[in-house]
Amino acid sequence: MEGRRPRRPQQHLAVTDHYLPTVNRSLGPAAMPNPEIRRVVEMLDENATQFALPHIGWHHRDQGIAHVIAPELGLAQPGMLITCNDSHTATNGACGALAVPIGGGNQLRHVLATQTVWLKKPKRLRISIDGVLPKAVTAKDVILSIIREIGVGGATGYAIEYGGSGISAMSMEARLTICNMSIEAGARIGMIGPDDTTYQYLAGRQNAPKGADWPRALAYWATLPTDAAAVFDRELRFDVRTLAPMVSWGTSPEDCAPVDGCIPDPSRISDSDRRRHIERALDYMTLTPCTPLQQISIDRVFIGSCTNSRIEDLRAAAKVLEGRRTAVPGIVSPGSSAVKRQAEAEGLDRIFRDAGLEWRDSGCSMCNGSNGELVAPGERCASTTNRNFEGRQGRGARTHIMSPAMVAAAAVFGRITDVRALLRD
Amino acid sequence: MLPFTVLTAVAAPLEIAKIDTGMILPGRYMRRHRRPGHDYSDAFLHDLRFDEQERPRRDFVLNMPAYRDAKILVTDVDFGCGSSREGAAFAVMDFGLRALIGPSFGEIFQVNCIQNGIPAIVLAEPIIQDLQRQLRQRPGSEVTIDLPRQTLIAPDRAAYPFDISPLRKERLIRGMDDIEVTLQLRDTIEGFEARRQVMYSWLPTARRE
Repeated sequence: MEGRRPRRPQQHLAVTDHYLPTVNRSLGPAAMPNPEIRRVVEMLDENATQFALPHIGWHHRDQGIAHVIAPELGLAQPGMLITCNDSHTATNGACGALAVPIGGGNQLRHVLATQTVWLKKPKRLRISIDGVLPKAVTAKDVILSIIREIGVGGATGYAIEYGGSGISAMSMEARLTICNMSIEAGARIGMIGPDDTTYQYLAGRQNAPKGADWPRALAYWATLPTDAAAVFDRELRFDVRTLAPMVSWGTSPEDCAPVDGCIPDPSRISDSDRRRHIERALDYMTLTPCTPLQQISIDRVFIGSCTNSRIEDLRAAAKVLEGRRTAVPGIVSPGSSAVKRQAEAEGLDRIFRDAGLEWRDSGCSMCNGSNGELVAPGERCASTTNRNFEGRQGRGARTHIMSPAMVAAAAVFGRITDVRALLRD
Repeated sequence: MLPFTVLTAVAAPLEIAKIDTGMILPGRYMRRHRRPGHDYSDAFLHDLRFDEQERPRRDFVLNMPAYRDAKILVTDVDFGCGSSREGAAFAVMDFGLRALIGPSFGEIFQVNCIQNGIPAIVLAEPIIQDLQRQLRQRPGSEVTIDLPRQTLIAPDRAAYPFDISPLRKERLIRGMDDIEVTLQLRDTIEGFEARRQVMYSWLPTARRE
């Protein structure tokens, strides 16, 4: 902070998530044998104390991934401006907040010192999602199909508002998944106008308005949704009625296809940038053009991350795994300690364990492996996370991103599997 | 922060599309406590520059002798997409680069670079491809970035104007810290805070103060 003090320390929340181990926490610091990792965790403790910042540290009852616990604790509310030094901050936009990722150095220091953030007014992009989702097709498949369509730079410079009948019908948790991956389409901001689903989700949460404050807040929130006549710089529509579960095959989130599809053939791509990218991606992923996706064998699975680690995600995965055994190892890391408690109350932990997966504590874990929990070089991982970049889950690791139910199905057969076939009653 | 005005330096062409911030600074380096003599210079694009045995890959552009002193990198599309890690900008800086030129950049990364005194300049793709071709054909060629005039001069002396917001330009040229700029608006901030307490009294952050 170069001698400066935070301007409004009580308006901040320090959350330990990326560097925490998801096993052996009861050992204390010994659970972090890597001194660099331990130092990062300790430094956040020290900084939070030094600057009097509220802190959810690693033994806190509410510990979890920042973007999972902010909505869960009722901290993300409609009309708020929220910043966090993490690119998936837009997750909180599902609560009707303007949630903006910032850099962890200069920009975070700036927010602490001034309680403000400089923003260039973004262009406005409305994405309307229409129709009812088919069975076993989820918010994750919707957002992946959008990213596939518009590309990882498709929404750069825009703030996205998601709307349409598909969004109206979605639970808050599904909406959080949609907004979470706005950055994978290039947009720093993704949001959904507040509605009854938002209000019902917020009501009664730890930091939600209470008593006489509730109707006052509600009256204000009702003024926030976009006017019917509002003009956007760009409008896109997606019909999800015939959408299939999506799977990534390459090294960019836009490199994905419906599970019944095939690996693309770069020789048939006319755009030279795209062709070079696909060639490089298939080389890294050791995949052959035109292979059906369901022939790809996997070595392990990861269920977790700010994209897909909430209770509905765990229920969806457990539904597939119930009464089955997995063919490959894997870990399940709930998005927060509260999600973990809830899952255990519902017996989901037993289902995961009985199926052969590890039931872990909450954190960012293997999504990017900053806590040292990595996919081994050359290993292929089916993952509920948001990024499949080269080396994202570990050097030489090959990531296939998909929904929690699809990861569970892949775990059962040891290869990419169409979960719709498993859930056909 | 170092001011940036006019720079003439060797430029290197990096012809790989969509290099994300995790490739610019692999996650395992983010926990390194960055300090003089132990910075991110070796971490920058590490897995592209070095093989599994930590040997420099000879065919990688930044390992070729002609480009070793490059202070400018001419990138491909969506350079710096992905995670918001500011370390990626630190890595660019620690490696010794002073400017990036490309057809498009990840937005957060671009802001992070500018905040650290490194302009990430956008030019149309055909211009970038031509620049990369020149740099490839004549390794060690120099490019000039004239920030006050918002002009880039290619090795073949062709001049190209580029856009940058007046605010960002001013800060880069003066090497000015954002916090100082913002705190000049203290009255506006305090006025907002007072109104906020009254109008949005239910906010948990308002109640706590």
